[in-house]
Amino acid sequence: MKKLATFALMTVLATSAFAHSPVDHTTPENGATITEVPPEISFNFANDIRLTRVDMLHQDHPSVRLDLRDQTSFGRVFTLPLEGMGKGTYRIEWRGLGSDGHAMQGEFSFTVE
Amino acid sequence: MPDIWGIAAIFAKLTLYFGVVGSTGLVIILATFPNLVLPLCRRIKAKAVVLAGLSIFAAMFGFMLRGAALTGGADGMTDPEMLGLLWQTPVGDVLVYRIAGMAILIAGMFIPRFGRWVSLAGGTIALWSFAKIGHVPDLQQTGVRLLLLLHLLGIAFWIGILGPLRNLSRLPEHLDDAALLGHRFGQAAAVIVPVLILAGLLMAWLLLGDLRALLSTGYGQTLLIKLVLVGAILILAAANKLRFVPAMQAGDSKAAQHLARSIKIETAVILVVLAATATLTSVLTLPN
Repeated sequence: MKKLATFALMTVLATSAFAHSPVDHTTPENGATITEVPPEISFNFANDIRLTRVDMLHQDHPSVRLDLRDQTSFGRVFTLPLEGMGKGTYRIEWRGLGSDGHAMQGEFSFTVE
Repeated sequence: MPDIWGIAAIFAKLTLYFGVVGSTGLVIILATFPNLVLPLCRRIKAKAVVLAGLSIFAAMFGFMLRGAALTGGADGMTDPEMLGLLWQTPVGDVLVYRIAGMAILIAGMFIPRFGRWVSLAGGTIALWSFAKIGHVPDLQQTGVRLLLLLHLLGIAFWIGILGPLRNLSRLPEHLDDAALLGHRFGQAAAVIVPVLILAGLLMAWLLLGDLRALLSTGYGQTLLIKLVLVGAILILAAANKLRFVPAMQAGDSKAAQHLARSIKIETAVILVVLAATATLTSVLTLPN
């Protein structure tokens, strides 16, 4: 019985399609290759959200937390200044709160050549 | 797989479900069969208080975990800004419903005579919180919220009977009471369980919108696991109602032992069903 319960629980936990990430599009777009580091990045969400954490990861540098002090309200469009770290792949990981109380998270990446 | 905060949220939700539904269920049993469960009255009240206390703890912990999900670290659990943000959303509202409802339930257990009705009101307030947030309220139909409340009250009644019936059937001097309690519950369940299942299926259909989503999405697959397990519980419940309880009524004390064991298995499967539900409501997103 315990084995059955454990197995069922693990099956339940292993199912896919987690997290709500209703991000419509980002600038730069996910997977884009560009020639210069953009001075800022932007997110467009389908519904109102409040960003609570955004990290920038670059292959040659430790992860940097982007400043969200100016982001004090719920909205659908967010623009954040970006500090360039040269060529390479940038990964942006974000977390936020939907106005319905859902925690959301997602990520996108782009490459500077 | 969800991250560590997602998994912790599932366990907090599971504890919350078990606490709220279990304590409310015990109160329903106290109110519905006061004479039959008289030998267990003190024990049932104590259990209801413990389960309600557990659910208050789980509600608060779950709220803090949502803070952690916002920052991606344990610091979010006590971050005043994150918790303040959450407080402004429906998450804050349901926390109030849950804590207030369970506190009223606990208080009612210490009030003589009509206290169980106070507790029942408290339990219903806490159950209503589940109709205030999540995928079902997203449908924005009051009828569906009431359907969910009905579904939860039915589940509470069912889960509530398990402990008292098992305890009573293990007391040889109360074999008659146990048999009668099992019989009376069986009669009520014949009406309540079909309504419970119909309400569940109707909500599932409204949420999924398409039967194909049952196989092709994580949400659908988890729902399918839940349905299969509910089917297994129904088989056990049918065995209890059609075999063990009639045998107990005929004075067969061995049947009482079988019933006690069957209830133990039923409880374990119900826990997995609650875990599947906690996964559906915590971390899985709807197919559309």
